[in-house]
Amino acid sequence: MLKKIGLMFTVAAVMIGFTVTNGIAAKFPTKDITLICPWSAGGGTDTIARALVKNAKKYFGVNVNVVNKTGGMGAVGMGSVATARPDGYIVGMITFQLSTFRLMGLADLSYRDYSLIQLVNRSPASMSVDAESRWQTLKQVMDYAKENPGIVTVGHSGAGGGWHLAIASIATVNKVKFNYVPFDGAAPTRTALIGGHIDLATTGIDEVLELYKAGMLRILAVNAFERHPLFPEVPTIAEAGFPNPSPIFDWRGLGAPEGVPEDRMEVLIKGFKQCFEDPEFVKLADQLGLPLVYKDPEGFEEFLAGMEETLEPALESVGLLKPIE
Amino acid sequence: MDFGFLYHAFGTVMLNPMNFFFVFIGLTAGIMVGALPGLTATMGCALLIPFTFGLPPVQGLLMLLGIFCGGIYGGSISAILIRIPGTPSAAATLLDGYPLCQKGMGGKAIGMSTVASFMGGTTGALVMTFLSPQIARVGLRFGPPEFFALAIFGLGMIITISGRSLLKGIISCLFGLLITTIGFDPLSGVPRFTFGSRDLLGGVTFIPALIGLFGYAQVFRNIEKMQIVPAVKAKVENILPTLKEIRSVLKTIFKSALMGTFIGSIPGTGCDIAAFVAYGEAKRTSKHPEKFGTGILEGVAAPEAANNGATGGAMIPMLTLGVPGDAVTAVLLGALTLHGLQPGPLLFRDHLDVIYPIFAGMIMAQFILLIVGLSGAKFFAKTINIDRKILTPIIFFLCVVGSYAMRFSFFDVGVSMIIGIIAYFMEYYEYPASPILLALILGPMAEGNLRRSLIISRGDPLTFFKRPISATFIVMAIIIMITSYYRIKKAMEKEA
Repeated sequence: MLKKIGLMFTVAAVMIGFTVTNGIAAKFPTKDITLICPWSAGGGTDTIARALVKNAKKYFGVNVNVVNKTGGMGAVGMGSVATARPDGYIVGMITFQLSTFRLMGLADLSYRDYSLIQLVNRSPASMSVDAESRWQTLKQVMDYAKENPGIVTVGHSGAGGGWHLAIASIATVNKVKFNYVPFDGAAPTRTALIGGHIDLATTGIDEVLELYKAGMLRILAVNAFERHPLFPEVPTIAEAGFPNPSPIFDWRGLGAPEGVPEDRMEVLIKGFKQCFEDPEFVKLADQLGLPLVYKDPEGFEEFLAGMEETLEPALESVGLLKPIE
Repeated sequence: MDFGFLYHAFGTVMLNPMNFFFVFIGLTAGIMVGALPGLTATMGCALLIPFTFGLPPVQGLLMLLGIFCGGIYGGSISAILIRIPGTPSAAATLLDGYPLCQKGMGGKAIGMSTVASFMGGTTGALVMTFLSPQIARVGLRFGPPEFFALAIFGLGMIITISGRSLLKGIISCLFGLLITTIGFDPLSGVPRFTFGSRDLLGGVTFIPALIGLFGYAQVFRNIEKMQIVPAVKAKVENILPTLKEIRSVLKTIFKSALMGTFIGSIPGTGCDIAAFVAYGEAKRTSKHPEKFGTGILEGVAAPEAANNGATGGAMIPMLTLGVPGDAVTAVLLGALTLHGLQPGPLLFRDHLDVIYPIFAGMIMAQFILLIVGLSGAKFFAKTINIDRKILTPIIFFLCVVGSYAMRFSFFDVGVSMIIGIIAYFMEYYEYPASPILLALILGPMAEGNLRRSLIISRGDPLTFFKRPISATFIVMAIIIMITSYYRIKKAMEKEA
C-alpha cells in the first residue's frame, strides 16, 4: 500500500516535472536579462539605461540588469552585444557612435550587426553662448565668423562626435570657418563655455538644460525641425536663418545580437516598449529634457540608414571619412 | 548661506539613527571595496546605486557618500600592508606606508592614515559646507591653459617620487606618457597605436594598469623572494599614533588637506593628483627630505589628508555646476539624476533640503571613518603575518579578478599582466613605478589641454604666460622642481 502511494507520488512528480519543463521551454525569459551599456556608470547613456529598466520586472517578470562594458568609444560594449549568444538574454544600448565606426574606419561594426529592438531617444544639437556674450543671435555669430574666418572658437564634445559633425555640416553649407576646440565630453565643454574659454559651444540641448534655466548661458538655436518643448523660446535652426534639411541627431536605442529567435524578439520588443512607456521613465526623461522618440525595429532601421547617409558628407567635410569597405 | 537652516539640517540628519546607519553601512562597504585592489570607490558607488532606488534620496545619497569616503580611505590599507594601492589615490601612500610596514609599524601606519584621513576629510567637508559657491567660481576660471599648467605642476612631482635616480624617474615617467597616447584621440578623431584592435581603441585602461604596476609586480617580487628572504614576524603594536606623533605632523596634515580640497574642487582633477602633490610638497618643505620613502609617518599623513580632503573638494563643482570633480562624483551625479535631482546651479538654489543633508552626511562620515578605521586597524594589520605562501596566491587571484571586473574584460587581464611583467623588470633595475602612474594620471590632461590651448590661441605658446593662473602654476612648478632637486640632492649627499 505504502509502496503504491509512493509510486503514485513519483509518477505524479515526474508528470508535474514534465509539464513544468515543457512550460519553461516555451516561456521566455526565465532568468534575468543583461543590458550592456557601452558607456561608463554615471554617464548619460548609463542613466537612461538604468532608468529604463528600473521597473522591468513588472513587464518581463524578471530583472533586467545593467552591466557597463566600456572602452573603445563604445565599440567594445556594442561589439560584445553584436557577438553575444543570440538567446535573447543579452541585449545592449546602442548609441550614435555606431553610425560612425564604419565610416571613420574605427571598427567594422554597424546597425546591420544587430536585431534592432527600438529607438529610445533622438536629441538635437544646440548652439549656445555664455550669458555675457556680445552675440544675441546665431546670425550675428555666423556673420562675424564669415568676416573673420577661423577666429570664433567652437567647443564640442570630441572630433567625429555628433555635435562636432552637427555644427561642421552647418558651417560647411554656409561657408563659414570656425576654430574647433574638441573637449572630452559635454560636461567640460559647457564648463569651458560659462568659464569664458570658448565663444560658442555645441552640445545636446538637454545637456545645457540646468545652466540654461539658471541663466548662465544663452541658447542661440536648436538643430531640429521643431522647437523643443522645454525650451520654447529657443528658435529652430531654420528660424535662426540657416535652414538645415538633414540635421544630425544624437540617438540611443536598443539592440540584440543578430539571430535571436523570432518569438523571443517579440517578447523583448514588447517588454522594452512597456518599460519605455512606464510613467516613471517618462517623467525622468521629461526632467532631463530628453526627447523620447519611439521607433519600432523597421522604423529604427530606416532611421539608422538615413543617419549614415547624412553623416557621410559631414565626415568628409571635416576630413574624417575613411570608410571600411 | 542660511545658517539657521543649515543648523536645522545638521540636527535632523545627525539625530536620526537611520542616517547614521546608512552612512555606516556605506562607509564600511567603501573601506572593503577600497582595500581590495581593482575595486575602487567609483565601482562601489556604481554597484550600489540600484540598491538606493528604494530609499529616500537623502538616505541613498548618504550611503553613497559613505562609500566614497570609505573607498578613498580604504585604498591606503592595502597600500600600506601589501604595497598595492587599493585605489589610485593611495598610490602615493605606499611610498612610505609599505616601508613602515616592513619595519613592523604597519598598524601604526594605518592608525596614522586613519587620523590623517579623518582630519583631511573633515577639512574638506567643512570647506565644502561653507565655501562651495566661492570655490566653484575659482574653478570656472580654469580653462585649457590652466589645466595644462596644473598638469605640469603635478608632473613636476616626479622629482620627489623618483627615489635615488632622477634620470630613471624621468624615463619611467616618459614610458607612462607614451602609454597614454594609445587609443582613440578625441582631439583629432583618429586612433593612435591601436594596430586595428578594437579593444585598444579606448587606450590602456587606468585600473588594469595600476594593478599591473603594483599588484602583479609585487606578486612576482614575492615569488622571487619567497625562498631566500625569511619572513619577518611583525608584532602588531599600538595602532593609535601618540599625541606627540600627531602634533609633529599636524602642520603637514592641514596644509595637505587644504591643498587636497582645492585640487579636488577643480573639475576634472581628483583625489589621486591631490595625494601626489601633497606628498611632493611635504617632502620638499620637510626638514629631512631624505627620510621620505624610508618609512616615516609624515609620508603617510600627507597624501591621506590630501586625498580625503579632495573628496569634499570634488563634491563642490558637482553640486554647484553639475560638473563632476572626478570619476566618483561622476557616478554620484548619475545617482542624483536617477533620484530626480539635477545637479547644477539651480540645485544649490532650490534644493537646500538635499544639499545641507549632504554636507552634514559628509561630516558625519568622517567621524564614523575615524571610529571604524581605528577599531579595524588592528585586525587589518594582522594580515601581514599571513604566510607569504598563502598571501601571494590570494593577491594574485585578487589582481586577476580586479583587472577583469573593471569592465568585464579578459583583454584588460592580459594588459595588466603585461604591464606587471614590464614593471617587475623596471623595478628590478631600479626604475620607480610611481612616476609611471603619475604620468598615466596626468598625461591625458597635459596633452589634451596643451593642444586645446594652442588651438584656441591659434598656435601661440605665450598663451600660457599671458594668463595669471596658468603663469603662476608654471612658475611655481619650475621653482618647486629646482628647489626640490637641490634640497634632495644635498640631503642625499649628506647622508652618503
